[in-house]
Amino acid sequence: MNVHQILSGAGPYDAVTTQALAFRDLFRAWGWGGRDVAAEIDPRIGDRIAPLRALGAGDGDVLLVHYSAYAPKLRGVLDMPQRKLLISHNITPARWFWDHDPQAAVVCALGRKQLPEFAAAADVAAGVSLYNAREFGSETVIPILFDPAGLGRPRPRDSQPPGPPTILFVGRLAPHKRQDAVIRAFELYRRRHAPDARLVLVGAPINRAYDAAMRALADELSPGRVTIESGLTREQLADRWRSAHAFLCLSEHEGFCIPLLEAFAFGVPVIARAIGGVPEVTGDAALLLEDEDGESVVAELLALAVGDRELRAELRERGAARVTAYSPEQTARTLRGALESLDRRSDVIGDL
Amino acid sequence: MKPEEALGAARAAAAARDDALAPGMSIEPTERVSTERLMEWANIEPDADLMRSTRRLGAPITWAKRQLVHVMRQYLRELQSQQTRFNLNVLIRLAELEDRVVRLEERAAVRRDVDER
Repeated sequence: MNVHQILSGAGPYDAVTTQALAFRDLFRAWGWGGRDVAAEIDPRIGDRIAPLRALGAGDGDVLLVHYSAYAPKLRGVLDMPQRKLLISHNITPARWFWDHDPQAAVVCALGRKQLPEFAAAADVAAGVSLYNAREFGSETVIPILFDPAGLGRPRPRDSQPPGPPTILFVGRLAPHKRQDAVIRAFELYRRRHAPDARLVLVGAPINRAYDAAMRALADELSPGRVTIESGLTREQLADRWRSAHAFLCLSEHEGFCIPLLEAFAFGVPVIARAIGGVPEVTGDAALLLEDEDGESVVAELLALAVGDRELRAELRERGAARVTAYSPEQTARTLRGALESLDRRSDVIGDL
Repeated sequence: MKPEEALGAARAAAAARDDALAPGMSIEPTERVSTERLMEWANIEPDADLMRSTRRLGAPITWAKRQLVHVMRQYLRELQSQQTRFNLNVLIRLAELEDRVVRLEERAAVRRDVDER
């Protein structure tokens, strides 16, 4: 069987590209062929992803379209006769970007508008979470392929990280991730419970102006207590996880949120806002906040998550179960089932 | 404490506190960009520092690109001014149309009131 993956864009640090390359490793292991192409390619990706024009799909091949952004160049793919599986990787609503990155807002607005058309043209349209799939009326879920083995070793069980309480958030420095709210809640927690606490925000900023705004806020509220960093190596990121006492996610929009699973894999207690795909991914393994819970409640939850041993141990156990639920073997089976069902349909059409 | 009890406990502890932070910067979603903000954007001012290479050893390429921008600055300013002229004229027309719609709606409302009496 040949499966060709089609991406709107490919880059070295892009989650969707990473996912496509991991899928390709699986396809090779299953003895499947095909190639991976993208409409826009960052030169740093090398020859692992070919230009869209290099897509040479045969009649019985299957196309796997990773939809993650507005992609007018992919429209031609919709008219191709091959069977298609579309995986939507979730697009942030434009309203979060108009004030900070209007170009990104335009791309998001158009991407979300174009999604139903792409989903309708696919034989199977899936989301990375049920929340995501239901955005275009689907119930099919193919989760993110998450392999904890590649993350690095977690801390030994029942051991607290050394040093002062460290609160961590991992995610792009972007408006919908609400690092501003994380900084404010952290500062309240610090004043009330742990004057020596630290906040570490890991993630590339959407642009320099937004980066500067977040740094200014951190300097104003918690001078010297907040670190904002990006471009970490895998080992450096593993260090941040091992040093963290709690993971705090106050995002207003998440389709899946891989860092939640990373936190579980490292045994770090999670506090998160219950929005989008977050409750689905965390199950009962996180302390979930409702809309009405302000920064004062978040600060008190941080104190509990950092200081209550029984709570930490229970969250750690439940988190480990979530990592098992999203095991790479399970996701690989789901992906293979979806692609093989398309392949069988191709056979039927070929026989007709 | 069980995870199911944590949120309730945190809410109770928060309710007993009166040390909230002073209001400050807060990111809010924007359903529609205001005309004033569009006016700011219409006057385009590309930042030359954004010109860079994304390649692994891209520093010399970045340098060369910036030199090219410098050499072509007269032509690029001309392009900028033409684009800004167009942007601003479209925006002014848009603002005029918005004003006109408001006036027409107000006039229609007054006429409706008179008719109802």
